[in-house]
Amino acid sequence: MRMQLLHLFWNEFRKRRKKTSLITFAIAWGTLSLLLLMSFGRGLSNAAGVSFKGLGSTMIMVTRGQTSKPFQGLPRARRIHIHMEDLELLKRQIPGIAMISPEANNRHNLSYRGKESNRSVNGVYPCFAEMRSQIPEAGGRFINDLDQEKARRVAFIGWSVARELFGDTDPVGKELRIEQTPFTVIGVMKKKQQSSMYQGPDSETVYIPFSTFCQIDFQRFLDRIHIRPADPGDALFMENQVRRVLGRKYRFADDDANAVNFWNTIRDYETGAKIFKGIEMFLSVIGALTLLIGAVGVTNLMYAVVKERTREIGIKMALGARRRHIVMQFFLETFAIFFKGTLWGTLIAFNIVSLVNLIPVGYEDFGIKAYLLRPIFSLDILIVFLVVLFVLVFISGIFPALRASRQNPIEALRYE
Amino acid sequence: MIEFRNISKVYKMGEVEFVALQGVFITVRKGEFLSIMGPSGSGKSTLMNIIGCLDTPTAGFYYLEGENVAGLTFDQLSTIRNRKVGFVFQNFNLLPYATAYENIELPMLFNGKKGGERRQRVNELLEMVGLSPWARHRPTEMSGGQQQRVAIARALAMDPPIILADEPTGNLDSKSGHEIMEIFSQLWKGGRTILMVTHDPAIAAFSQRTIRLLDGAVQQDGAAT
Repeated sequence: MRMQLLHLFWNEFRKRRKKTSLITFAIAWGTLSLLLLMSFGRGLSNAAGVSFKGLGSTMIMVTRGQTSKPFQGLPRARRIHIHMEDLELLKRQIPGIAMISPEANNRHNLSYRGKESNRSVNGVYPCFAEMRSQIPEAGGRFINDLDQEKARRVAFIGWSVARELFGDTDPVGKELRIEQTPFTVIGVMKKKQQSSMYQGPDSETVYIPFSTFCQIDFQRFLDRIHIRPADPGDALFMENQVRRVLGRKYRFADDDANAVNFWNTIRDYETGAKIFKGIEMFLSVIGALTLLIGAVGVTNLMYAVVKERTREIGIKMALGARRRHIVMQFFLETFAIFFKGTLWGTLIAFNIVSLVNLIPVGYEDFGIKAYLLRPIFSLDILIVFLVVLFVLVFISGIFPALRASRQNPIEALRYE
Repeated sequence: MIEFRNISKVYKMGEVEFVALQGVFITVRKGEFLSIMGPSGSGKSTLMNIIGCLDTPTAGFYYLEGENVAGLTFDQLSTIRNRKVGFVFQNFNLLPYATAYENIELPMLFNGKKGGERRQRVNELLEMVGLSPWARHRPTEMSGGQQQRVAIARALAMDPPIILADEPTGNLDSKSGHEIMEIFSQLWKGGRTILMVTHDPAIAAFSQRTIRLLDGAVQQDGAAT
């Protein structure tokens, strides 16, 4: 039975294809808009996530501050510095710290075979690499525990520094001078997207063991302490703990928000992720509305088609067509229009996404290019799309089809 | 075969009621060739529509091959139209975008006949009405007489015992009309029951029996004059 119905439908549809081409185009256009908006939205959201992670996404940074309220007879506006021994204090007093690293930095002159540059040199612990998403290029490594313990003169350099001083040669194993002190380059940072930073991008920075840093650049204070909580969900709790512990030592109020400053990338990341997810959904809704306009067009067209073919429906009823034959005929026609339109729309969208992804994006181009030129066409987008489509096909097909099948055969036969 | 007992049909157009048929009693035996005559508005078409199960009577009983048609659902009536009745219309009512072949095939598609069976039957019918070379042509490429022959072939597709023809020669010149009537005569001789509405006494002369309707009632029922 079904085969005969399909045969009947196809006989008719292939002769009427031209009449439906415009509306097929509308559906293709709607599909294209929806899929592209979803893909670019996903790409945007993804690029944002990648860039956030460039700074490190599970980390709390503590920096010096200034008291904003009097405490125990002490005035406000006292400067609060953080010191190396605070590291041990925090580790001792707060459970749940997975990693902790000091960071101190200063700008120094760098040179290699007559080429010179002035860049930030930072002293850190080995665990810094993981907290800050610093991955060495193949053939290199980050600072390790032995480097730290023996205060070795080794340096891990950002890729911009590497290009600036070493050009095309592989810097690993070469001798880099920091203010005339020779350092061996042990690794170059792998390129990454980074949207947040505090003293310039990581690509322009040189990292050396903290112990070594103390030998070449005497500083009384730490610039930052990086902490990773064992459970990222504890981020806010951890922040309050650190403030309380330091507050007891340096004597400032627990609720003094400015005494020491926090940069909580976990919280930032969560907020950012929500915003970008929101943008992604917003774009999807716009796309869906575009497709909906196409669907309204199809419904309209099908009502017109039903009217135009009233006589024919009457003839078919006289020849023994049942209601479902008529319903199926119009429903299949709606389906066919959608199928054709969406097939084209999907193919074009897929190709556009693939082509856009071929455009090279440099790792220095954070911002607009990285956000816009990496759309993602994934399975779940397709599934969401198909569900939306199915609903639209059903809604725009069923009502005209039912109207067609409910006509009185005699009136339909007389229709001019 | 066809039995009308006190059939009435009333159309309501807003407040106004229009009586199309009024207490009609008709019995048609198997193998009869019956023509129905009468002026416009006398209820001829309504009578045909009820016989063909396109319409249902407002009152009275209609037995088709012993089965009471009243109270059947739309789809049950569709099955009757498909298997027991073949329609031939004044204006042919062929699907304009479909070829002669596809038009004839149509009733079999509603009945789910298999492809090979359909092909064989369509070719058989095309040959019978002498249109084999025209199988792939559309109605717009054919003369009126040819179109009506396609319509007859289509009416015969499911091999129904009854043929209902509503002014089958009304839109044709007399020569084509005559050819069509020859086909009907052949079908009648082949054992089919034929009911035909016509204005034209010359056409009615082909039939065995004539019923004259006036204002929705049978005025005269008897052998053709």
